Order: sequence, then structure tokens, then C-alpha cells
Amino acid sequence: MNIPTLVGIIVLAAILFFAIRYMVKEKKKGTACIGCPAAGTCEKHKSCSGGCH
Amino acid sequence: MRIAFAGNPNSGKTTMYNALTGRSEKVGNWAGVTIGKNDAPLKSEFSGGKDVIAVDLPGAYSMSPFTPEEGITSEYVREENPDAIVNIVDATNLSRSLFFTTQLLELGVPVVVALNKSDINEKEGTTIDIAKLEEKLGCPVIKTVSTEKSNNGLSEVIEKAISLAGTEQKAPYLQADIDLHDKAQVDAEDRKRFSFVNGIVGEVETRKQLSTEETTSDKVDKVLTNPVAGIIIFAGVMWCVFAISQTYLGTWIADWLVGWIEMFQEWVAGKLESAPPVLQTILADGVVGGVGAVVGFLPLVMVMYFLIALLEDCGYMARVSAVMDPIFKRVGLSGKSVIPIIIGTGCGIPAIMGSRTIRDERERRATAMLTTFIPCGAKIPVIALFAGAFFAGAGWVTFVSYFTGILLIFLGALLVKAVTGYKYRKSFFIMELPKYKAPSLVRAFWSMMERAKAYIIKAATIILVCNLVVQLMQTYNWSFEVVPEGAEDTSILATIASPFAVLLVPLGFGVWQLAAAAITGFIAKENVVGTLAVVYGLTRFIDVEELEMTGGANTVAAAMGLTTVTALAYLFFNLFTPPCFAAIGAMNSEMQSKGWLWSAIGLQLATGYTVAFLVNQIGTLVVEGHLAAGFLPGLIAIAIMVVVIVLISRKIRAGFDEKYELHRKAGQAA
Repeated sequence: MNIPTLVGIIVLAAILFFAIRYMVKEKKKGTACIGCPAAGTCEKHKSCSGGCH
Repeated sequence: MRIAFAGNPNSGKTTMYNALTGRSEKVGNWAGVTIGKNDAPLKSEFSGGKDVIAVDLPGAYSMSPFTPEEGITSEYVREENPDAIVNIVDATNLSRSLFFTTQLLELGVPVVVALNKSDINEKEGTTIDIAKLEEKLGCPVIKTVSTEKSNNGLSEVIEKAISLAGTEQKAPYLQADIDLHDKAQVDAEDRKRFSFVNGIVGEVETRKQLSTEETTSDKVDKVLTNPVAGIIIFAGVMWCVFAISQTYLGTWIADWLVGWIEMFQEWVAGKLESAPPVLQTILADGVVGGVGAVVGFLPLVMVMYFLIALLEDCGYMARVSAVMDPIFKRVGLSGKSVIPIIIGTGCGIPAIMGSRTIRDERERRATAMLTTFIPCGAKIPVIALFAGAFFAGAGWVTFVSYFTGILLIFLGALLVKAVTGYKYRKSFFIMELPKYKAPSLVRAFWSMMERAKAYIIKAATIILVCNLVVQLMQTYNWSFEVVPEGAEDTSILATIASPFAVLLVPLGFGVWQLAAAAITGFIAKENVVGTLAVVYGLTRFIDVEELEMTGGANTVAAAMGLTTVTALAYLFFNLFTPPCFAAIGAMNSEMQSKGWLWSAIGLQLATGYTVAFLVNQIGTLVVEGHLAAGFLPGLIAIAIMVVVIVLISRKIRAGFDEKYELHRKAGQAA
């Protein structure tokens, strides 16, 4: 395995790791739509109308 | 310690809350922006190092809730025992605001009145005798301008609230002991309170301009809220917004950005030259190319949101609500449905959540069901891609997309009205039109940046992972071997998407690549662009020079193999079929009925399919003089949808008539 391949695999793995970790963290916080500007509001208002989503 | 921020709608509570806590909750120059409770610790510069939580509450006109969000406010201040209440009073409308103030003062919790928007009063020559008002109300009154960075009175308000916490508040007016279920008694009591408030206002306020006089603002309102002129002006304004963001400024910035992304992609591919081709394809084409294709549209989205933020801030969008109200009522929706639909231009989820402010259950569900027909921010890249590739970046494509969305909302509302039966109660939409003001470029900038941040986060997470999966599914077949060139139809992606592609033949785009992009769009609508970039190996969707040279017959259009008619059909299919899964989840939560949820999904699928079918068949007939392929199967599919709707309607109406008959008999017996 040459160096570019190794670096490519590491970069790909790192990108995937951070992307998935972020999504999992957000899901655990109760965010339904990652990146949605209203995600925080949605999470907070879960109890307002019998559960958000 | 908890300090509650309560006041009338659009008095500036959330702006003050954001300034005090450093949060960036959504604010807007209209009533009803905050629909739930927000809380956050105060910045230490305001709390003096103490642990103080600020609680931002939805706007309320009185302690007797008329809407669900008013209920949240009255319930909180009554039952949650905050240590102090900061009552934000709109200084430009004292008599209306003090009604609620006198009710808050009866709770016994110390109240500090923040006389907000005092700067506007100064400009209009209205003066308020603060000392006298303090004396009349029996609580501190402090002038504030929450939009100002300094000398805004916020520190004084918090200082006062902290120092008064735990003390007993005396009320200047006490409600008589009346039967709250007796409407006549409640009305009489409210009138007494109003006359008490008006008495105070008469003593403390001096106006240069009386509210009965017609101002320039009133004259402008007469034109902007005119049922005919208002709609024409709205159409013109939106045309300008779309033209600037999608054809001129936005496209030029995007072209520049896409150039950089393409250079980066080439650089990555160059560095991986000696790596296995699969890794090169996945990283350069799947990750950088796919995500880059979506990010390339960011400037268009940013310019559009900047312009919409300016329109909101100057008070124009509130006028649009007033113009749309009579039309919405006529088709069986609530006048309040206008607000979720306007919010829906940003994101479908808060729009669907915004429907909870509608009291009537049927209207609320119908609004949640239909609001996503208005294209959200995630659909802008899809519109821009097709407008750019097939229509030489014409702004009319965006304009037509949005107005078709509005038309479908009206038609959908009429259908819901017809299916669910008669409408017994009239709904009322009371909205105070905010004062016109010069929009803040800084606020519009930060509103735009917030959207941009959200867009980038989404691109770097969901879109990235999806593109990677799509790239892998396209690279490998079911034996997990790399698909050889020319045998792309054997890839995992092709074999999964092909059966769906067959269903799309009557719509003019029955190929697996387009079917795959439409399917991934249900995860996030931007994925349509990302997937198309991956499956067709394209990145440079925006190329101003190419558009100018070839007038739309560019490489993107050539790669997809669509005509202008089928491209428009595909665009409408993606815009008007069900929204992303997260928005469907929001619908589920707001509707609280599986029947309504599945009906909504069915209606959206049927609408997207029918609109695309009509565009393809009629368009082909007009342009080429014959019907497009798959006319008969498509017609049969639509006929089946119509039969299903009729059957559901009959079933619902049967039960409805039965219930109505029972009510009638019960009424007669009584």
C-alpha cells in the first residue's frame, strides 16, 4: 500500500467518523433534522404537543 | 433564579432574550414567531456572576389564552413560580400592552416593566412619563431598546429584576370575584380593566400624532394589503427576490465558488493518482464532487435568505399574511395558515410545527399536510440546477415553482375541505401589522449566516454520508465486484432504482439514475443534486459562461438526456412529492393521527405524480405534437388515485353525516 492510498483511507475514515459521530450526537439530543436551523427548537418543544418527532 | 420574559406578541421579547443570553432564537417583525418556551442562562455581564436563567415565553395578549402558545405563557407564569417577571411592553402601543401588565401584577411575583421600542417613540414624538407610570403600576419601569448594542437599558432591567426577586408584588388593579365561565361577567370585567388601563395611559402618555390620524404607513398599507394590488405587488417582489438570487448575484458568486470546488476536486484526484481507482472515485467524485455540487448552490440560498430576511424585518411579510388571509379562509384553511407557509420557504419542519398555533383541529392538520408544497431551502439547489441546466438560469423557473406550490396548497385545501365535509366554524385571524422600518442589514446578515451554517452542516454530514453510500452502490454490483465500464446497469444502485424507474416512465424520466436521485431526496432534498452529481459524474452544475454561450444546451443537460419538458416534470416531481423523512416526522407529531398522516403522504405522492404527468404529457403534446410515452398507464395510475380519494371521502362523510344527525337529534330533544 503506497502513501497516497494510506492517506486517502485515513482521510476518508476520519471524514466518515466525524460525520457519523456528529449525526449520532445530534440524534441523541433529540434533533430530528441534522443541520435544520429549527432543530434546537424542535428538541425543546417535545412536550408542547405530545412529542415532536 | 429564573426570570420570565413575558409580553404581547411582537413586543421584542426574543430580541431581548437573545441579547441577554447570547442565543440566536428566531426573531421576526411580526406576531407569533415564538411558539414555545426557550430558556438559557444570562450572560455573566448581566447576571453579575449569579446563576440566573432567562425564560423566553410566547407572546400573549392576556392571561386568558386564546391560542395554544398563549396557554404556555399563562400556565408558566401562574404555575412555575418564576422569581421575577420582566414584562416587555411595546412603548408604541401602551394601552394594548398594559392590559396584560395589570394581569401579571396580580400574580404577586415581582414585575419589572421594560418599555421597549422607546427609540421609535422618540422619533414619533411620543413621550411617556416614566415616574408617573411607575407610581401607577407600583413596579419599576425602564426604557429599553433591545436592538441597540449599548445604552439599551437591559442591564438596568436585569439588575432591578434580580434585586426584587423574592419580594411581594402589589397589584394596582385586582380582578373582581367573578364566575369565569360566565361570558357576560368576563366581558364586563375586561372592559373595567381596559378603562383602568386607558386611564393610566391618558395620564402618562403624550402623543404628537394621534392613533386615529391616517399616517403614511396607513396609506402604504391600503395599497399593500389591497386584495388585488397586494397580490400583484407580492408576485413582483418575489420575482425580484428570485431573479437576484437565482439568476444574477447568487449565480455569479456560485460560479466563482464552484470554480474553487472543481480545482479542489482536481487536486484531490491528482494526489490520489497512484491510489486504487475505487478510492480515487469515492473520495474525489463521491465525497468532494457530490458534496461540492450541493455546496456550490450555497450562494443562491444565502442571497435568497438575505433578501427574505430584509422583507421580514421591514414589516412587509406581515402584510403578505394579511393579503393571503381571505383567500386561505375561502379554501377552508385558517388565516393563520399563512405564517407556517411563509416559514416553509426556509424549512418545512418549523413550518409544520408552526401550524400548532391554529386552534381548529381540521385546519391545523390540513395546514401541516399542505405547507410543504411551498419549496423549502433544501429544494432551492434542485430548482437552481434545473433552471440553470435546462432554462439558461431563468428566474421564472423558481417563480413558477413557488407559485405552483401556493396553487397546490389552495387546491389541496379545497380537496381536504371536500373530503372531510362541511366547515362549521369560522376561524379568525387577528394579526397586528408591525410598523414599517428600515431593515437591519446586520440582522439580515446573521439570519443568512445561520442558514448558511445549517446548510454546510447538513452537506458535511447527511449529504456526505449519502453520497458516499450512493457512490459505493454505484461502484459495486451484488457480488461486491467493481462494475466494469459499460455495465453500470448491473450496479447495486441501478438494480434497486430500476423498478421505481418503470413507474416514472409516464412522467418522462424512467431511468434508474433519476429514480435513484428522487429516492435519496427523501433523506434530504439536497441529495437529489448530490446523487445526480455522483451518478452522472458531474460537479460543475453552475457555469455562467457555458450558459451564456449555449443558452442551456450544456453538458449537464446533455448528460441527463432530458428535454426541457421532462426536466420541468422531474423538477416538479421532486418539489411536490412528500418532503424529507424529518418533515414527515414533524407532520406525524403535529397531526397526532395515523389516518391523517398517511392521507397526507398519499396526497403528496399523488400530487407530485399527477403534476409531473400533466407537465410531461401536455408539454410533449404542445412541443412535439404527440403524447409522451406511457400515457395510458399513467392515466390508469391517476384514475386509481382518484378512486381511492373518493372512497376515503365517502367513508369519512358517512361517519360525519351520522355524527351530525346525532347532534341534530340531541339538539331537538333538548
